[in-house]
This record gives sequence, structure tokens and C-alpha cells, in this order.
Amino acid sequence: MAPTGRFALVLALGVVPVVVAGLAGAPEAWLALVGWLLIVIVAASVDLALAASPRRVALTRELPDRVRLGEPVTSVLTVHNLGPRTLRATMRDAWEPSAGVIGPNRTARSIPPGERRRIVLDLLPQRRGDRRTTQVTIRSAGPLRLWSRQATLASPGRVRVLPPFHSRAHLPSRLTRLRELDGRTPLLIRGQGTEFDSIREYVRGDDVRSVDWRATARHADPEVPGGMRLMVRTWRPERDRRIVIVADTSRTAAARIADEPRLDTAYEASLLLAALATHAGDKVDFLATDRRLRGRVHGATGPELLARMVDTMAGIDAELVEADWAIVPGQVRRVTSRHALVVLITAADSPGSARGLLSVLPQLTSRHTVVVASVADPALIDASRSRGDLDEVYRAAAAERGLNDAERVGAAIRRLGALTVTAAPHELPPALADRYLELKASGKL
Amino acid sequence: MSGAPAVARATASTAEPGPIDAAVALTPTLRASVRRRRIWFGFAALLVLGAVVLFVVQGAVSGGGPRLGADNPAPTGARALIEVLGDHGVTVTDARSYDAALEGARGGATVVIYDEYGLLGDDRLARLAVVANRLVVVEPGFGALEAIAPGVRHAGAATGALDDVDCAVPTAQRAASLSDGQRLLAVDDEALDAGWVGCFRDGEFGHAVVFGDAEGGSEIAVVAATTPFENGRIAEHGNAALAIGLAGASHDLVWYLPGPGDADADAAPTLADLTPGWVSPVLVLAIMVVIAAGVWQGRRFGPLVAENLPVHIPAGETSEGRARLYARNTARTHALDQLRIGAIQRIASALRLPRTAHVDDVASAAAAATRREPAAVRRILADDAPTGDRDLVRLAAELTTLEDQVRATLAPATSHPEAGDDTAGRRP
Repeated sequence: MAPTGRFALVLALGVVPVVVAGLAGAPEAWLALVGWLLIVIVAASVDLALAASPRRVALTRELPDRVRLGEPVTSVLTVHNLGPRTLRATMRDAWEPSAGVIGPNRTARSIPPGERRRIVLDLLPQRRGDRRTTQVTIRSAGPLRLWSRQATLASPGRVRVLPPFHSRAHLPSRLTRLRELDGRTPLLIRGQGTEFDSIREYVRGDDVRSVDWRATARHADPEVPGGMRLMVRTWRPERDRRIVIVADTSRTAAARIADEPRLDTAYEASLLLAALATHAGDKVDFLATDRRLRGRVHGATGPELLARMVDTMAGIDAELVEADWAIVPGQVRRVTSRHALVVLITAADSPGSARGLLSVLPQLTSRHTVVVASVADPALIDASRSRGDLDEVYRAAAAERGLNDAERVGAAIRRLGALTVTAAPHELPPALADRYLELKASGKL
Repeated sequence: MSGAPAVARATASTAEPGPIDAAVALTPTLRASVRRRRIWFGFAALLVLGAVVLFVVQGAVSGGGPRLGADNPAPTGARALIEVLGDHGVTVTDARSYDAALEGARGGATVVIYDEYGLLGDDRLARLAVVANRLVVVEPGFGALEAIAPGVRHAGAATGALDDVDCAVPTAQRAASLSDGQRLLAVDDEALDAGWVGCFRDGEFGHAVVFGDAEGGSEIAVVAATTPFENGRIAEHGNAALAIGLAGASHDLVWYLPGPGDADADAAPTLADLTPGWVSPVLVLAIMVVIAAGVWQGRRFGPLVAENLPVHIPAGETSEGRARLYARNTARTHALDQLRIGAIQRIASALRLPRTAHVDDVASAAAAATRREPAAVRRILADDAPTGDRDLVRLAAELTTLEDQVRATLAPATSHPEAGDDTAGRRP
């Protein structure tokens, strides 16, 4: 039950009779007050008795299952009045604050008995993950709208908000570069995975070492009598390699760098790499892990891969636990027993937190090509360069120390045979994609 | 008949596709919530009942009543005195209004007045003093004393029991002593001249009882404390003798405790007299409106929604904390070392020296590149120890300058001026 503003107003209007009666004398004023209160109370009681029950209502929802972060959602709630009276309702759909209801979350509708009305809310989710609503509160006013009845009804709803994949802007340029790899000669080493493609005529810029002399001998030049045409072998990049992306979801992933949590950067980088690799014909697996396996995408290709990855990522947030790297080799082994490119996306910036990673790296590097990608804090670099006053000098010293630590950890990782990619949050996804292309071009996958 | 249900079913199915179940209500109905909280309602009822019982019992035991009330049996009442006087044939009138007291006084009765809250106006008291034959004023206030006994002043509390009668008044003589707990009055020379006599002296401090005559010739006795009349103290020393002697001097006694109705009628009109009759009801109405509006605005529209917020930690905190630690411990050398390590590494990689190059090599290479004095460069890179904050800032600035100069000398030669920085992951 709840009074309305109109009730307070009607109560306040009692001033008029009280003052008018009060001109005659104090007892008359008191009498007028009591009389007015009686009238108002009787009216309110009648109103309350005539209000439709807010419980005799059926609720159905229409919601999109998935939406990318940053895209609007339309939530449709259909309210069906099952009672015998007209429902003069004000309704509140109890979405989580981060579901981002646009405008006021109060909708007034008058629903005749047996009819239904749609309530449309525009949402702009503010965080990825499952954004939920569990209940709808209905306030049903009486015909005089003096008092209303109120009840909260269960009506669960859910929208899965997927990671935004902003870094897909980098995808076309990397795909172009990937196509350029086709038909190009590998520079120095032909790895095991590099495959023979075709033989064509030499053009300037080709590596002379890839000239195929036997083929050249077979191709006489018709324009120059007795001359030969130089033929080169071309190679195309290896295909069907396996890539395992491991995203660290432990406490270090909760750190916010340049207004983006490390984990979100890791997701962006994973998505870009996966999109690129699946175009290049490689198989991509995704693991999210801290002390336990938080999420896993295995055996998906093409568009399905990205869909499953974002779906898995949506529900995973960083947890305040220390990562247990010892489980990672086992998980990778479970995915593939063959040589693979293992990409560890984590925070390799302090010797203390990287110890676990360093201890298991040899197990991985002995079998696989390992890339450790981590986010560098651009604020540290800025801080290390501004040395105006004493405070700034101390800050610069601390930042230098941080950079130095990261550098040492990076050196240790490289000594253990892994590759490192370090970049600012917005540059990490393309940097990782470029490193992948490099490896692919040199046939190291 | 057979077609009717089918038609009904058909219309139902067209009007309502799918099953319609009312949503499950999470709010309990009024009845359910009362049933669920009935134990609390029980507790509340028990508490109210207990309070009522306690109130009744306490009222029955204490009886209560005003101080020196004629029918108050409590230790501070005066019922004992009244009963004794009644037994001895004194007609006691318990007057609660000025008019009743005045009427009794006109009839020749002794008037005992105790004005606990100073309600009676001074001129009314003076009038009563003139009208009454005998007036006993118990514990008068300052104004009352001024009005009936000019020259008599309050003089604090007595030091103990009083047995120095110090006057020839028969009533006082008979009492001979008074118990502890008396208050004192001082009688000045003018009052002495006017015929005021103090009895029961307490050394130099004053007297417990003062006798005198009013303008109209009536006798006035001023007793400074209520002690001699109280049920609890009346039996001590000569309290009873004094009380009976004062109150039972005549056949009639008016025991007068002024009430709120006796407040001065000539005082300024109250606020209620000045305002129109509707003001109070309107105020009451305003309070009700405020409550109604408060409930209207304060009634929550359903339960709050909890949001599971993820943990996000600003990554710069570690570095900031470390900077503050350096600053607090004034770890100048250590701070400068960090800057130097960073600078040496950057200069080394800019000059294409190996990562493991010694400081001396880096210093000489930098000196050669910038055409500076090698010793000076080495001092900047390694040797100078900061002696103060100013020194630290200066050395840090010199490091930056040196680094910039090294880079500037290489700038035309290399296409990537920041070759030493983290370009890992970019294509060469």
C-alpha cells in the first residue's frame, strides 16, 4: 500500500474548510479538521478497496539473447491483466543498474480486464556479462488515485552482453597482410610447416636463394635466343596449425590500465588473434584460467569460433586469486599433443607475480612456440619522463623501477625460449596479431 | 450443447494464445506478513501489557501527589500533620485555588501556603497576607519574600539540627529544636525594626523560622524549609511541635497549595489568545500532510536490486605507493639509481651497445656521441651522489638532458628515433 501525491494534496486542501470554519471560532475549526480527515480517510479506504489487485497479472518477456557491449537492447515486457478490474498500474522493471535503462524506469499503463499491454524499455548495458532482472513491481492505483496497492512479482530476464571486440577495426589490414604472405618467398628459413606452392618467373625483389635452377633450365626464353627465364619457387604459408590462447583471469587481470581492465584487453587481443588465425586456416582454442579452468573453447572454426569465444568470455570476470600456472601445461596438453603456438596473455610486469609463470614456461617452450603477451602501462612511461619537481622525480624513479622490473621479467621469459609482446592496452591486440603474422611468415608455427 | 464448449475453447484460444499463469508474487500478502511476524506482534502486545501492569502497580504503591499535599502519604507529603490536626478538632480545608484560600482566610482560618512552583503572583500573596489572620508561608520564593516580609532574605541551608531557639515566640519555645535539613533566612536591621523576629538560629548564618506582622496586623510565620511539615521528617526533634503550633493555632486551617489556575490573570495575553482559532488545526493538518507526503515519497518501489560489481584496481597504485615510500624515507640515492639504470639501458640500446655493457663503456660512448667531457657524463650516469632534494632534482634533469642529447645526435642517422623503446610486436 502506498499513498499518492494526490492524497497528500487532497489532505492539504483541508486548509480551506478549516480556515473558513476557524473564522467563526477555534472549536469549529477543530470540528472542520476532524470532518475533513474523516472524509479523506473514507475516500482513501474506498479507493483502496476498489483498486485492482497487482498480483493477478501475467508477465511475459521478449529479450534478445545476446548483444555486444555498446549496442542498445530493447526489452519488451507484456503485462496481461487477469483480474476483473481495470489495472491502473505504474510499473518498475528491476533491471540491474549496469543494464543501463535509458530514461525513467517507471511506466504508467491503464490495462482493462483481460487485456495486455507492452512495456518497452531501452537498455544500453554498461558492462559485459549477464545483465539480469528478477522482478517487476506493480503499483495499482484506485479509481480516485488516492492510494495504491503494491506487489513485486517474479519475472526473471537476462541479456548476455558480449565483449565489444573493438579491435576488429584492425582486422582488415591484418587480413590484407595475411593474403600478401601467400605466394611470397620466406625470407631465410623454411620451416617445417611452409608448403611448396608453385613455380613462377622471377621478379625483382624475390630472394635469389629461392631460384629453382632446374625449373629455370627447362624454361627457355623465346625473346632472347639461348637465354633462360629465371624461375623461382613460391611457398604459401602453412595451414592447419594449432593456436592455444590462454587468458589469465587472476588478480593481476583485474588491474585497470588506461581505463581498461587487463582482462578486457586480453579478450580484445584474443578475439583479434582468433579472427585472424581462423581466416588463415589455423585452429584456435581458447582457455581462461586462474586457479581453475574458468572457460574453454575447443574445436570451433570460422564464425562459430568467435561466437563461442565471446559467449564464454562474457561471463568471466577477474577473480582476486593468485594464478596457478602449474595447471596450464596440462590444459594445453589436453587440447593438443602436437606442436602449437601457445599465447599466454597475462601480466608479466613484476618478478614476484611472474614467478609462477616462469616456473612452468620451460614445460611449454620445450614442446610449443610460446608467446607471452602483456599490457604495458603507458602511465608508467609518462611518469618516468616527467621530472619537474621532487615529487615527480620520486614518481619517475618508481615508474623506472616498474619498467625495469617488467624488462627483467621479459628478459627472463625470452631466456626461457618464449617470445614476448608488450604494448599499451589499445596497441596490444594489433601487436599480438602482427607477431602472429611474423611467425607465420617465417614458418615457425 | 455439444458445440458450446468448443466455441468457448476456440475463442479462448484465439484471445489467449498459450497458457496464462499469473506471475508469482514475491511480496507477501498482508495476511501472510502478519502471520509471519506474529511472534513480534506477540512480543509487542506483551510489552504493552507489561507496561500497563507496571504503571498500575506503581501508581497503587506510591499513591503520589504534590509535595506537602494534604492527602499525600509519601515521605514528602503532609498527610500526617493534617490527620493529627483533624483528630484534634481542627477543621482542615484543602484549598486548591486562590479564591477558596481567600474565602477561608476571610473566615478567620489559619492559612498555610506552600507555593512550590512560584505560581502565585506577589500582589495576590500580599493580599492574602492582609486578609488572613494567621499566615504560614512555607519555603517562599524570592519574590514572595519581598512581597510579604521585606527585609528578610534567603540565607542558604542550615548546617545541622537547630536547638538555639533564640526568640520568645511561644510556638518556637515549645518546639525547642528543629531537625536537620532546614533552610535559613536572614533578618536585616530594618526588618528587626519592623517587628520581624527570627527563631532557631544557626550560628551567624540566620534563622530557620521568622515571625512578624503584616500591614493589616495579621501574624505571618515564614518557615524556610518544608522539612518540619513532611511526613518523613515530622517526628524528628521538635518538628511536630513547630508544625502543629503553627498550623493548629486556630480552629480552622486552610491548607493551600496554589495550582496552575492561580497564575497571575493580569499577565500578558498568551500566544493562543492572540492567534486566530484556525491556526492550531491548520498546524495539525500541516503535520499530517507532511507525514502523508513523506510516506508518498518514501515508499519504496519494490526491493532494491543488488549489482555484482567486478573488482577493478587502478594499476598505477603500486607505482604511486612505491614513489611515496621513496619520498617518505628520502631514499634519494636509491631513487636516482632507478632513474640511472633506466637511462643507461636506453642510452646503451640507442647507441647499439650490448645489454650487458658496463657503465664506463656506456658513459664513454655517450660522451663521444654528445661531444661532452667523459668524466662529466660518468658523473651524471654513476658517480654523483645527491646530497639534498634540490640536488636530486638537478641530477634527474641532467640525466634527461643527456638522454635527449644522445637521441638527438642519432636522430638523423636512424629512421626510428625511439629504437630502444618497446617496439616489440611491431613489424621491423
